[in-house]
Amino acid sequence: MDLVLRIAVVLLPLLYALVAAAYGWLFVADHPLPRKFARPLFHFTLGLHLGYLILLTIRWQQFPYATVSQALSATAFAVAVVYAFVEWHGKASSTGFLILSIAGLLEVLSSLLRTPDPPYREIFHNPLFSTHAGFGLLGYAAFAVAAGYGILFLRVYHEIKRRRFSVFFGKLPPLEVLERMMVGSLITGFVALAGAVVSGAIWAEQLFEGAWLRDPKILFTVATWAFYGLALTLRRLRHWHGRQTAIASLAGFVAVLFSLIAVNFFLTDLHGFH
Amino acid sequence: MRDSRRDSEGGLPRVLLIGVDHRCAPIELREKLAYSEDETGELLRSLQESPDITEACLVSTCNRTEIYLLPQHEAEAYRTGFERVFLERASEIEAEGRFYVKRGQEAVRHLFEVASGLQSMVLGEPEILGQVRRSALTAEELEASGTVLRRLMRGAVAAGGRARNDTAIGSGAISFGYAIVDLARSIFSRLDSCSVLLLGAGETARQVARNLLERGARELVVANRGSRRLEEFQQLFPQSRAIPYEDRHQALQASDLVVACTGADQPILYRDDFERAMSSRKARPLLAADLGVPRNLDPAAGDLDNLFLQDVDSLEQLIAQNLRKRRDEIPRVQEILDRELAIFTSWYRGLAAEPLVAQLQKQIEHIRQREVANSRRHFPEETHDNLDRLTRSLVRKILHHPSTHLRSNDSPDYRQLEAVRQLFRLDDD
Repeated sequence: MDLVLRIAVVLLPLLYALVAAAYGWLFVADHPLPRKFARPLFHFTLGLHLGYLILLTIRWQQFPYATVSQALSATAFAVAVVYAFVEWHGKASSTGFLILSIAGLLEVLSSLLRTPDPPYREIFHNPLFSTHAGFGLLGYAAFAVAAGYGILFLRVYHEIKRRRFSVFFGKLPPLEVLERMMVGSLITGFVALAGAVVSGAIWAEQLFEGAWLRDPKILFTVATWAFYGLALTLRRLRHWHGRQTAIASLAGFVAVLFSLIAVNFFLTDLHGFH
Repeated sequence: MRDSRRDSEGGLPRVLLIGVDHRCAPIELREKLAYSEDETGELLRSLQESPDITEACLVSTCNRTEIYLLPQHEAEAYRTGFERVFLERASEIEAEGRFYVKRGQEAVRHLFEVASGLQSMVLGEPEILGQVRRSALTAEELEASGTVLRRLMRGAVAAGGRARNDTAIGSGAISFGYAIVDLARSIFSRLDSCSVLLLGAGETARQVARNLLERGARELVVANRGSRRLEEFQQLFPQSRAIPYEDRHQALQASDLVVACTGADQPILYRDDFERAMSSRKARPLLAADLGVPRNLDPAAGDLDNLFLQDVDSLEQLIAQNLRKRRDEIPRVQEILDRELAIFTSWYRGLAAEPLVAQLQKQIEHIRQREVANSRRHFPEETHDNLDRLTRSLVRKILHHPSTHLRSNDSPDYRQLEAVRQLFRLDDD
């Protein structure tokens, strides 16, 4: 099993690089060859990545978040899963290059930072906690992808609006499709973060009996989740158009980053994992 | 006289091309030389009757008329082709520089470039490929094209198709109509679900309507101040729906794309009109293209959220950018044409080698049979079958490599074929 894992550590970054290159080719030239092979290659890589994470879990008898390397790989997988969903939802593959390059970069970092023997962490044996962490990763990855689509949307929007057409004009999907992909990611993120909050709350209640409610990270995460919920509600009820949703997705992602960096490192109590 | 079909350069048939296009002939001359489908049929039939022409194919579009001939005798074929296709219709073509003549490789390459849009007035325009395909079919149906020209035309169509699919030579809009289509496609996911409001019914409006309908638009509403042009427009585009000019404000609310191309000297839709329309459209964006000079749509509307207002300048900027992109693709198209030309050349060389190989095999088999018959009496009767098998196998093995070599892609050249003919005295038959 160790040999298979060692091979996967080398193979996965290579495959992601190949997938990103195929999508890049598709983006630049819309050539029939990558049109035919990019998506099947991506789905194969995704399947292999899932297999790798399952093997990792079996091998170390703990969910694969115990080291920076494992967490990065799980994040890369989450980004790729979200992209697979929005690609299917938006029926457009010309943005794959941008999103899957990020997944590939995370996987490269994961391979470079790999440690042969990950430390044993009791917490990663708890299925409830692992569900919480998995949902959290998926949610944050989805919000990151939504922010990416928000940037692309605003770029195309302003390009047409200001009548300054770059060389990328016509290469990206139409605004309506970018909006659909962005909203698809936002909904995925919102649902996943809801799952993370609920599973985390149940787990924390078992352990800390109410004390967890004062944790700044939890409060900030719930506020971020509520913000995304409000944006999606306003979009539904007040007919927010793409630009407003794109700005909200970017603002939400700034809050996510703040929650991940500032709150995690300077304010949090329970999420310090000490 | 020597058969000019075999007088090839670089292994290509001696195709003769006589033509006029937008570069050398003014529109008045091109108009006279444009052939309808019936006229093409009549012309090809008359050329078929000429003993100097083996095969013929005519490519006639609004920008070019070209006759491709496979001559039996080149000088006579040229005279016949030039007179019947060009001179009988327009005597002024004889003026210097009004037409061009190309032969062999140059003619073949020219046809490939025509099919891929490199020779078009608008670089990479898409219609030419279909026109070349139709010309090829007409010549095939009338049996005016034979083995060589049929394959040549098919090769040109394949080359054109590949150039279009594998490069960006035909990508990006290069007319106002298509530029509007491109803009609509960068906003809306489907053009066929867009409702189009056309303000104006003149020539520009017709061109835009044509381009939009070609690219999938379905719902076309048109408003015009005068009724005569509107009626003409509706005759041309029966799928369009005309509305009174005064109702344009209400129609704006239900439209996704509004194109204004009237001769009005002041805006026909103001910022307030757009503001009202946008507030009733919920989150749906609106693309407004103003082709009028002076402008038909209030420029102040451009700062409204979710409204994309474009004018002639911005569309021209888009067109210029697309033309630059197409020009950048020319080297890649040339590479594709090189490859397709090589395929055609190797096919043609194989075609030339095939009869020679057959002749060679026949001659050797004849020698084998004669020698076996002469020697048979020296062998016991029960070995005759084996003798036959042995000699046949021997001959087949000896001939295998030369035959394969002669038929192969890279060889033979014509000197080689000639050498084989002389060495085995194949012409003596």
